[in-house]
Amino acid sequence: MSAPAAVSPAAAPERREILRVKGLSAGYGPMRVIHDLDLSVYSGERVGIVGLNGHGKSTLFYAIAGLTGWQRGSILLNGVEVGRTRSQGPGRYTHLVVRQGLALIPQGDEIFHGLTVEEHLDSGAFTPRAWKERRERKEKILKIFPPLVKLMKTPVGRLSGGERRMVSIGRGLMAEASLFLVDEPSLGLAPKIGKGVMEALFDVELGQSAMIIAEQNVALLEGRVDRVIGMHVGKLKGEASASLSFQTRREL
Amino acid sequence: MTGHIWRNPLYFWGVEGAEKEVPSIPHKSPQDVWDETTASKAKMLPVGRLRYYYKWPGHGGLTWPRFRYWGTRRRALNIRSVYNPKTMRLEKTIVDKRPIWWVLGLLAFMLAPLAMPASFQNTLLTAGATFSIYAAINLCWMLIIGTAGIYSLASYAVVGAAAFGTSWLSINLGLPWWTLPLVGAGVGLVFGMIIAVPAIRLDGFYYALLTIGLNELCRVYALQSKQFGSSTGGLYGADTYIPQGWDQYDQSLLAYYACFGVMLAGLALYRFIDGRRLGRILKMAPEKREAFAEATGVDFRRARIWVFVISSIGLGFIGGFYAAHYRGVSFSIFSFDTVLLGLAMLVIGGIGRAEGAVVGTAIVILLDKVLLSTGPLRLILIGLIMLGVVLFLKGGLFGIKAQFRAWRDKKKSERRSMRAEKGGEMLPEEATETKDKDLLYWRRYDKMQREFLKTVISPELIEEHRKKPLGQHSEPLERLLLYFRRAPQNDKYAIVAVEPFKAYRIVALSGQRGVAPRIVEDKIYTSTDEAYHGVFLRRVQDLLES
Amino acid sequence: MDVGFILSNAIVLACIYGTLAIGLSITWSSVGLINLGYGFIFALSGYGAWLASQYISTNGVVVLTAGVLTGALGGLLVCALAFIPIHDKPNFTVRGLIATLAISLIGTQALLYFFGPRSKNLPDIFGFWKVNVAGIVLTSDKIGNVVVSIVVVTAVLLWMRSSRRGLEIRAMMMNPHAASIVGIGVRKTGFYVMAITGGLAGLAAVLLSQTYYISPFGGLAPMIKGVSIALCGGLGSVRGAVIAAIILGLNEALTARLLGGQYVLITQFLLIILILLVRPRGIAGILDRAREA
Repeated sequence: MSAPAAVSPAAAPERREILRVKGLSAGYGPMRVIHDLDLSVYSGERVGIVGLNGHGKSTLFYAIAGLTGWQRGSILLNGVEVGRTRSQGPGRYTHLVVRQGLALIPQGDEIFHGLTVEEHLDSGAFTPRAWKERRERKEKILKIFPPLVKLMKTPVGRLSGGERRMVSIGRGLMAEASLFLVDEPSLGLAPKIGKGVMEALFDVELGQSAMIIAEQNVALLEGRVDRVIGMHVGKLKGEASASLSFQTRREL
Repeated sequence: MTGHIWRNPLYFWGVEGAEKEVPSIPHKSPQDVWDETTASKAKMLPVGRLRYYYKWPGHGGLTWPRFRYWGTRRRALNIRSVYNPKTMRLEKTIVDKRPIWWVLGLLAFMLAPLAMPASFQNTLLTAGATFSIYAAINLCWMLIIGTAGIYSLASYAVVGAAAFGTSWLSINLGLPWWTLPLVGAGVGLVFGMIIAVPAIRLDGFYYALLTIGLNELCRVYALQSKQFGSSTGGLYGADTYIPQGWDQYDQSLLAYYACFGVMLAGLALYRFIDGRRLGRILKMAPEKREAFAEATGVDFRRARIWVFVISSIGLGFIGGFYAAHYRGVSFSIFSFDTVLLGLAMLVIGGIGRAEGAVVGTAIVILLDKVLLSTGPLRLILIGLIMLGVVLFLKGGLFGIKAQFRAWRDKKKSERRSMRAEKGGEMLPEEATETKDKDLLYWRRYDKMQREFLKTVISPELIEEHRKKPLGQHSEPLERLLLYFRRAPQNDKYAIVAVEPFKAYRIVALSGQRGVAPRIVEDKIYTSTDEAYHGVFLRRVQDLLES
Repeated sequence: MDVGFILSNAIVLACIYGTLAIGLSITWSSVGLINLGYGFIFALSGYGAWLASQYISTNGVVVLTAGVLTGALGGLLVCALAFIPIHDKPNFTVRGLIATLAISLIGTQALLYFFGPRSKNLPDIFGFWKVNVAGIVLTSDKIGNVVVSIVVVTAVLLWMRSSRRGLEIRAMMMNPHAASIVGIGVRKTGFYVMAITGGLAGLAAVLLSQTYYISPFGGLAPMIKGVSIALCGGLGSVRGAVIAAIILGLNEALTARLLGGQYVLITQFLLIILILLVRPRGIAGILDRAREA
């Protein structure tokens, strides 16, 4: 109950709409994974998306980044339309979306094996402004993940799973982003390490940006995020808010 | 819009508060929406799969007489026979018509010399012979590139090595012509062993690059060594199977049919490797999936060595025949352009199928011979065709059909899943998840009804409702209100009296017993009529948004 | 004199072929394209340099720049034709390979069509002088070749190591999917890579033309040498390519001296096959510490 209390005064002065998804459908080839989904995320908010395997959590993130096979519907990121009706060329516009202020921390190890940890963190800061401030940003990341200090010159391919995840998340946090999409941060990690990674994510100061965390384990999110949204067969189902319990709403 | 008036029938009965005339909108028939929705905009096509096969009738009680290749259980034609439950009759379908096309094509090629115009006869016969030899080489090559999936570019090097070796032996030791293909097969075997060894160890592209190098090595070696005739541009003077005493036409005709025979042998070899055990093993273990194949117990290494050895023997045989046919061989067989042209033939036809190798060869040879006078331009043209095929086609000319079907199916399903709107008809994916299948139809008709009601909403109606929320309304408004009243309980708007006759507010019902309604807005209405109209406005808003 | 001559020849050849091999290696590993149109880019930039020397100036710098620029242009052409249309389609590697082969076929024939089969030669861009170091006579073109190629390759490698664009290219080498997530435009980076590697081919073409001639098909042999070095070093590894260039250059010079010129390719391929049989991924397989499983 402490986290929302800490966040709400910061969010109070201005609650900007960071992400506004309206009528988003997406899928791969003949398969439609996401069905007409609406979602709004406001600045300073930490949202958890909970759902089983194969119910479209990752696809939702990929659709926001323009990485699905096809998609339709409007996605406003910081008021700029980044979604469009598109049926080929997955990933062709991803870099443009990323420049609008998106940081996607994908599921699993999407890392560059041969780069060192330091280069890796640099690679997260490709937007011009972040590139100039990359030194300060790196220090900030190292404060969040202290184990990385010793590993700065090591190639990422030699790290353990937990360290890789830290690098991967750190790379996402390096970006000058207003929306962080974190896909299953605890997946494949030992429970203790997974919990540590989650703690680090909860401790990140969001400021004017927002964060969406997809997770299968509700217990890890409990009480630490502002909203928890369920996802079931490509639709958002119900919304439970940890702090504002009277707003709890259940949809059938 | 204006000028339409609804006359209140209750007025003449003297009902209290009934106005005589209310401004309204012209009548809209729900039938129009029904017609528009049910009328398909797409061209109507017969239901079912769009693949039409001619259905051969059944033969009463007789089973279909099936020809089988001798010694195998293989049938010449793949025929499916099923009973049609509607007509209660046996229907036969030829599933794969390719054997028929093959027989017709080969017959046409065999009979072609009869139909050739006399003026071009010689050129055409020579071109046909060249085509047959190259088709045979490409068929053997296709076994490695298509069936085994190994990008070996050294096939022409094997042919060239065998041709050079046999020519040299024929010139220096006086071997007769009929031994040349056999000796060539031996040379091919040795060469095949040499190039097979790296193939089991190396990744695809390492191997492709290595074989280009081997090809170049052969070229440079042959070009620089004196006994292979570096001064004459090739090695000529080998024994030939064409009797020199015959006249020109007979010689050409013999060459034509001899080469045709070699091509038939190549086709048989392809069929026997690709269609049988070895081919299946190789197709199970393509590049990058070797580990899986190995785990299932497939010895792909031995299979690869076998296919290299067999196809190299074939290539060596063709090389020996090449020497006996052209009475020798030139260095151009080793040149990079020859490899490129050969690859162009395979790519244009489509990699991994015999008809691709043969038809691709035919196209390239035809262009090559017909446009011989244009010099480099014809090679540029062939290169352009090759580039176009690679960029736009997945499997060459013979893959067009499958590619088009895949594209059409993809587009169809994409459009289908993009067409379904929110709250509209359910998609199959959603429908299977729904327990109450009645909901499918409910949603369908509900959608239509909403479509119609959206057209009805107008300022006049809202004004009419504002004036008089209760009582008799005009016909369109009545329809609208009936629809609103029928809405399900959950999230239905209701009015709560905060203080009777003074303060009301709008809530939404939870739809569940025991769960309190939720407050929708903070606005306080001072009278019931005002609150009724507030609810009405919210519902209109929701309807327009859906 | 013997040893020195062999060594100096070996180093010169190693430098030039190494330049080509590094170009090929970078192309393969960053955009995943086996560029067999490299021979065509080589020949094209040779002609570009020749045109510059004919119509603009025979100044060494101008000729070299013209060669490099034409090479970069050729690289862009290959990128636009063989990378952009199909890089996200299935079977890209095979189709890309065949597409570059087609480009090579079209391009060399077009060169033959426009310039004719007669070979051209470039002016001596490094002047004409000799240095005698410890009994070894070094001609100007040898020193110039070595210095220019080493400087340019080092500059390219340093740029790739330290700059932002270089980091982008290296990131794309490792994991193109993750690269697009980080915000790297794959197509744009593809153009950069192909322009740079094309420029390297152009450089090698101008340098090699100090000893050989320029002809439409003249790019083939250098490309095959470059390919074999890249293979031997392991596709995608710059360090492996450098080592392999030295080994193969040494082999070429030694064989030419001890056995005769026509055996160069044979010993070279025997050596490559041997190395590849031991290490199927080339020398880099030994060097690389962090390889994907």
